[in-house]
Amino acid sequence: MNKQPYTRLSPGDIGETVFIPGDVSRAKVIAEHFDDYKVVAQNQQFNTFTGTYKGIKVSTTSTGVGGAAAAITIEELINVGARNIIRIGTGGMMQTWLPRPGILVITGAVCGDGTSQEYYPTGYPAIADFNIVEGMIQSAKELGIVVNPGLEWSHDSFYAGSTLSKLNILEIEKPWIDAGVLIASQEASTVFQVTRKRKVRGGTILCSEGCHQYPDLDVPPELMVKAISDATKVSLETAVKLHHMDHVN
Amino acid sequence: MSHNEAQHERQHHVDMVKGDVAATVLVPSDPERVEVFAGLMDKADKIARKREYLTYTGEKDGVAISCTSSGIGPSPTAIGTEELIRLGAQNLIRLGTCVTLDPSIKPGEMIIPLGAMRDERATQEFISVDYPAIANFMVVRALIDACEKLKITYHLGIIRTHDAFYAVSPFDQQAFKATAQKWMDLDVIAMDNETATLLVISSMQGVHAGAVLLAGFPVPDNDDAEFLKHEKNLVMVGIEAAKNLAKMSLE
Repeated sequence: MNKQPYTRLSPGDIGETVFIPGDVSRAKVIAEHFDDYKVVAQNQQFNTFTGTYKGIKVSTTSTGVGGAAAAITIEELINVGARNIIRIGTGGMMQTWLPRPGILVITGAVCGDGTSQEYYPTGYPAIADFNIVEGMIQSAKELGIVVNPGLEWSHDSFYAGSTLSKLNILEIEKPWIDAGVLIASQEASTVFQVTRKRKVRGGTILCSEGCHQYPDLDVPPELMVKAISDATKVSLETAVKLHHMDHVN
Repeated sequence: MSHNEAQHERQHHVDMVKGDVAATVLVPSDPERVEVFAGLMDKADKIARKREYLTYTGEKDGVAISCTSSGIGPSPTAIGTEELIRLGAQNLIRLGTCVTLDPSIKPGEMIIPLGAMRDERATQEFISVDYPAIANFMVVRALIDACEKLKITYHLGIIRTHDAFYAVSPFDQQAFKATAQKWMDLDVIAMDNETATLLVISSMQGVHAGAVLLAGFPVPDNDDAEFLKHEKNLVMVGIEAAKNLAKMSLE
């Protein structure tokens, strides 16, 4: 098989579990949590590192921002052997009661984007893989890391729906805030619908940055670095659980 | 009268006040299934009956559990769900029948929906259809453990909730075949008229909800011994799940 067009990956290049951050530079940050790693491909915004963690082959590939790029990445990863796709990302906190920063295990997503609706029609629920949700919550408990489970509002246009928007962001977000949605980000709906369509597992764990309702309660950068590290540790332990579920029992 | 005061009032349709229902309420469509529930409990008291809403509250192995029928379809389910939440219900579990699409699922097996396609309109009056009808993962876990304990085969998956049973019903075989294929191609394993409604209204208010659906009996026939046997299993799964949720809330 030729290399995949965007990610430039071939079968054998990656493990069955692949962590997908949006940020191009975060792939290396995640890889540094592996026991060992090496670069396996680099093209456009897609950086892939593969290594091992507790004896299991794992990988990380950056997707770039948004559902369109995330879907390309996920499809190509599945083409070369990925079976568990876990997004590790950031987003804007939507509930004031959440810890700052919060580490959120995303159970489902509002499909406020276009990509997910090319896979399943409007009204079809975007839901995280059940084993991944349970694996993350169990792993967090074992690691002593506080996580909150809940929904993400997945949307396409950062400068229409963020604290940096010139529009009335609170008005845009109000229906989701009132319905208890935890965080605004862009990719969970895509992760869930593409993986469901291709019959592999998909999950998302997010660290919440600034709160849209109280912009003065922003999160110091060093705390975000720690939160992303914690989210990565939870994801790695989840990968170990999935491996045992598939190959040991 | 403030909204808060209104919550202490007798609820219009289910005809109950606060204290009448337990933390976990099982919600079948059929009022007769509430009687099945009552028969399986250690003790159960009839609390209210108005329109299609019949409620029993009782105890099983030391756990308080209620059962309230919703009637058929999104409209009465939306009313029942809202009123049960106003009465303080924290976990809502639908015990339903369904039109089973996936041919690998046998009659008598259970379907535990992870979520439902929102092809009904009742919840679209509350929130955009972009919002997912998703089952709470702890309720899903409670239902899985209940099926495993009772040794009943179960299937996790996505179902479709819609409004009009007879628009394309399984009794109109030719038309049904084409429409069934359309939903199966979208990985939909079953269809009903209530689950999405219960899930959306509950999740919007932070209440834990889920469903378990008996496969293979699109229309309950209370004269059919085979159906009654499986319906009893369905209610037993609900009762075990309620006990599991009570245990989880103590952990």
